[in-house]
Amino acid sequence: MSAAPVGKVVGPGDKVLDIPAQGTLRLSAGLTTHEGGVVSTKGGVLRSTRNGQYFLEGRQKRYIPAEADVVVGTVVDKHSENFMVDIGGPFNAVLPQLSFEGATRRNRPNISSGDLVYGRVVSAHRDTDPVLSCTDSAGRAAGFGHLKGGMVLQVSTSLARQLLGSPTAPVLEALGGGLQFEMAVGLNGRVWLSAPTAATAVLVANAIAESEFKTPTQVRTMVARYLSAVG
Amino acid sequence: MAAPAAGTPVCAGDRLGETSEYEAGEGVYVRDGFLIASVVGRQRVEAAGDKGGKPTLHVTSTDRLPVVPKPGDIVTVKISRVGQTAAQALVMCVGRQALSTEFKGVIRQQDVRATEIDRVVMYDCFRPGDIVRAEVVSLGDARSYYLSTARNELGVVYARSATTGLPMVHTGWTSMQCPDTQAEEKRKVAALGGGKEAPAQ
Repeated sequence: MSAAPVGKVVGPGDKVLDIPAQGTLRLSAGLTTHEGGVVSTKGGVLRSTRNGQYFLEGRQKRYIPAEADVVVGTVVDKHSENFMVDIGGPFNAVLPQLSFEGATRRNRPNISSGDLVYGRVVSAHRDTDPVLSCTDSAGRAAGFGHLKGGMVLQVSTSLARQLLGSPTAPVLEALGGGLQFEMAVGLNGRVWLSAPTAATAVLVANAIAESEFKTPTQVRTMVARYLSAVG
Repeated sequence: MAAPAAGTPVCAGDRLGETSEYEAGEGVYVRDGFLIASVVGRQRVEAAGDKGGKPTLHVTSTDRLPVVPKPGDIVTVKISRVGQTAAQALVMCVGRQALSTEFKGVIRQQDVRATEIDRVVMYDCFRPGDIVRAEVVSLGDARSYYLSTARNELGVVYARSATTGLPMVHTGWTSMQCPDTQAEEKRKVAALGGGKEAPAQ
């Protein structure tokens, strides 16, 4: 099996690798098979996960929901059994009222239209509403649920992936050293921030937004400059 | 009140006579003891039958009266949206007759099939763009007719593959296959023609 060119930048329609004669090839976002080869469907950089799955890391503002993503959403509607949540995708997502820790038919979450929630995508398909849940698979809250107060920052999906990835993004390390704030990052490109003062929240938001195309050193310099300006 | 001379054009809403003198026929309805035309057309009086009784008043319209789905009709619909608990559809034909306007219909989760109705996953039964044969259950709510596919001969009749766009081939009660990639997709498939029992058509 020829080595896959991990780290190679490809455009949409480029042939990335040949399908090997034997063995398994696991393809994820942005890759598909066509006429005996693996072809990319978007522009991006070829990466592989620890498990050996190949995927295309591209930068896009538009979010397409996928199963197991964590997202920050805004509740737009409340039906008898579900909330409808705007997560920035093609369809609004459905969040059952019972998908919260400790929720029963008599004890429903006190969330209304306009509130923010942090949830995970349970199922997502091309032509139908995605379904969210505010508990992990065991039924515990695990950080999901209603996000009170704070502000929401819009970023691209690739920056959101960096903020959630490991090792910790340099901007978060630098900010965490000097400031206190709470953050919830959604893979749909929305970051919720909450801090004791509005000035701190704005500082953190600006730092995160500016950090997307900077190297780690530049990021640390920038954050140090912001912190010294605030005093 | 004497009826206007036969053959005269009448308008929808015109009062034609009293129920004491005439029976209501086609294109005529009864309200508060009066016979009122329901369509635009020409009036016609049919003499009373041999058994006696009142003559019947008809209004014949030159236009073809619009066909409207009613409970019990088999309709052909196109799925417009698939949600978690229902699929929305546009009714395009009633029986063998195409409609000039599209009516809205909805196939609810409990009306998709006859067995295990609470375990239905709508996305595994229909996709947007599928052509489905369904039965009208009722006039439904203000927005749409209620439709059902809970019989063997009802369900998806024509569907295109998600990846290639080619029309798929039926491969059983719950799956269809793309002829090119052999990828199978789940649908609630209508049993056409043969099968274990011939559909009553």
